[in-house]
Amino acid sequence: MAQHKVNYTQNGGLPVALTSIDKIVNWGRSNSIWALTYGLACCGIEMMASGASRYDFDRFGTIFRASPRQADVMIVAGTLTKKHAEFIKRLYDQMTEPKWVISMGSCANTGGMFNTYATVQGVDRIIPVDLYLPGCAPRPETLQYGVMLLQKKIRANKASRAQVAKRLM
Amino acid sequence: MRAYKPKDNVQAKAYYTDRFYVSPQVPKSPVESDEIFAKDLEAIKANFTVLDAYIQVEQMVVYINPQDNFKVLKLLRDECEYTQLSEMSAIDWLATRGGFEIFYQMLSMNKRKRIRIKMFINKGESVNSVEKLFRSADWSEREMFDMFGIEANGHPFMKRILMPYDWQGFPLLKTYPLQGDEFAAWYEVDKIYGKEARDIIGPELRDSAKVDRYDSERFARLGYEVPKGTVITGNEPKNEENYQEEGGVFMIKKFDKKDSVVVDDPQR
Amino acid sequence: MQVTNRLNPFFENITFDREDNEMILNFGPQHPSAHGQLRLMLHLQQEQITKAHPDIGYLHRGMEKMAENMIYNEFMPTTDRMDYIASSSNNYGFALAVEKLIGLEVPRRAKVIRMMLLEINRLMSHLFWLATTALDIGAMTVFLFAFREREYLMDIIEGYCGARLTHAAIRIGGVPLDIQDTFISQLKTFLDKLPQNIKDYEDLLDTNRIWLMRMEDVGTISKEMALSWGCTGPMLRASGVAWDIRKEEPYELYDEVEFRVPYSDKGDNFARYRIYMEEMRESAKILHQTIDMYEKCVKDNQTELMAHAPKYISAPKLDIMTQNYSLMQHFVLVTQGMRPPVGEVYVVTESPKGELGFFINSQGGPYPYRLKLRAPSFWHTGILTDLLPGHYIPDVVSIIGTTNIVFGEVDR
Repeated sequence: MAQHKVNYTQNGGLPVALTSIDKIVNWGRSNSIWALTYGLACCGIEMMASGASRYDFDRFGTIFRASPRQADVMIVAGTLTKKHAEFIKRLYDQMTEPKWVISMGSCANTGGMFNTYATVQGVDRIIPVDLYLPGCAPRPETLQYGVMLLQKKIRANKASRAQVAKRLM
Repeated sequence: MRAYKPKDNVQAKAYYTDRFYVSPQVPKSPVESDEIFAKDLEAIKANFTVLDAYIQVEQMVVYINPQDNFKVLKLLRDECEYTQLSEMSAIDWLATRGGFEIFYQMLSMNKRKRIRIKMFINKGESVNSVEKLFRSADWSEREMFDMFGIEANGHPFMKRILMPYDWQGFPLLKTYPLQGDEFAAWYEVDKIYGKEARDIIGPELRDSAKVDRYDSERFARLGYEVPKGTVITGNEPKNEENYQEEGGVFMIKKFDKKDSVVVDDPQR
Repeated sequence: MQVTNRLNPFFENITFDREDNEMILNFGPQHPSAHGQLRLMLHLQQEQITKAHPDIGYLHRGMEKMAENMIYNEFMPTTDRMDYIASSSNNYGFALAVEKLIGLEVPRRAKVIRMMLLEINRLMSHLFWLATTALDIGAMTVFLFAFREREYLMDIIEGYCGARLTHAAIRIGGVPLDIQDTFISQLKTFLDKLPQNIKDYEDLLDTNRIWLMRMEDVGTISKEMALSWGCTGPMLRASGVAWDIRKEEPYELYDEVEFRVPYSDKGDNFARYRIYMEEMRESAKILHQTIDMYEKCVKDNQTELMAHAPKYISAPKLDIMTQNYSLMQHFVLVTQGMRPPVGEVYVVTESPKGELGFFINSQGGPYPYRLKLRAPSFWHTGILTDLLPGHYIPDVVSIIGTTNIVFGEVDR
């Protein structure tokens, strides 16, 4: 575990900063990624652990929200079964743009060890996915690294451009 | 010529079996060797036909006729103190014997004994529901119906429990393949996007162990990431693992590894 | 057919078929306090529930089908994903069932290590239960406290088997590894702090007015109802039946350790909460005794960790690497799998949630002919059908919390 101080204002705490619209919008988006609590199976427990005391997700600005309307990122943590598949699509559609999806764990990525009749072989058959986290279950560190990569991805986007809705089809 | 594969049992088979191998048996002992079980068996025998009975791994197994199941369980609950139905389900013997074996696993807390009531039904037959005796059978019988297609007469809500209501096929039958049939393979695509989406989404990739390092559409080599769709040559430059961009991030201090502290003992 | 437009939205001209006040509320399948993927159809009369219809199967992954297509050792990691809060207890249940089928005797040192793992898992599970239930009811502090302690236990387990959540730490016939050097010292440090930690939680909750209002006299399960629904574990003990399989049908070395079985005849949420707290203390007591037992094993120089049964269990790694026959035997066991005798077995263990049973029907092949997983949570979910009517909507959350259901286990 690393401890480090983060000084949120670079220039000695000066209250004035000059920047472009892109940067300030992306700064806001990338540092307040609110995640939908989408714990489906075992990975959901690790997702809770990364939100809890030791791993403390709040310092990334990632707060779990129970409502899709308030969430920016959907962390699909666990096995998606065929019975559940229609609901993940509905919840994804209910989230507001811009939205991102992290597929957490082998089951969500590819179906993983559950190569059976009841399991969807990868959530990317239902919704578009931005990040795949390997592991069964991935450690909280993996999830945190994934969120950091997502922040990087958001920062690389042009915020001023109109959001193009991501759709499978 | 293709090798013949039996259609009545499509589960995994041992690919090699010694012709002269005789598998040992889990030892069975007669019911008389245990006083309490002997008394219980007498109680059942007094009223019902018992086809077979023995003790195996500390538990008595009693075979009864399928039409007696409700009455036998009632007798066991009311007179023999078997107050709990811990488990019930079926075993598929369609391929060899043309029917199902149904077992009821009972527990007596006062006697600290467990017995298993077993019965055999033919294909297409239904059983008497024991839901009126044990509420736990409510869900067990639904699960049995869901998995094997065996219906229970007199059950209040005989519907699928684990699979969706519009599912086709009974997953635990030996004729049902592990990875599902045609219906199962397209279930979620058909339901959400419709049949016309099958071509766009494509078939399921069932080989989850498949990794192709020259495929940059679906895989990325850690430390050597390239944009999606690039042709992999093997001479990709190494990407330094850094979370923050080269020029730093707006309003956030650049993270310096040297300034950080590593804690060894988490319980300090 | 309704014609909807901005002035005349579609909900304004609905004609209701029925004139009663009944409303049907859909709860889940993705609800933060459903502890997984539970879907409840609640029929409401104002705020009161008149009929509840739990719908499960949203995490059905076909484990029983997988078992029929896997050799026995191959199935072990799958059992992890059943009750993923306490993985080792599932591993142990399966290993014990196969050992009973074969008739194996496990070396004593392996038994002690297994007991340590089981009790650590029980503590982890109960801490997790406390954390999530408290969070559902609104006690965020308890959530953070309990997760902190759970992380320490995970460190210990991680040092042993390398995984935090899905351990696969137990093999058929013993355990694969001896415990690491720091295991005992870390565990002792943890156990020293645990009584104070439990007291902290109790100080926060026991006299908390909100906690008591949500817990006391809510979700009362009578003894008859609990027995009829096949409830086991803390759910049954809270309803006045002191039935603990560790005590009544002892397996492993539970007949050698001393512990109490807490029970209550109240049957409500609060009784269940008290039982979980007391069981944590008892687990700590058992762990203290297993540490002594382990040290005695070391002193007596009992180094065996796996049972010796060449037909079923691979030889130790050293033999495989040095002796030709052991290598051949290992090769056959890995590629073809062990072939247990023909027969049936139903073996129960006391998992943190209740009676975890494995029914195995073996036909002498390397694959089980039928494997039925008897998961306690399945029936603890079923009881909601009879338990919820009469309660109010906020009670649903606290009742689901105290039943301690895990959906990997319910749907399998």
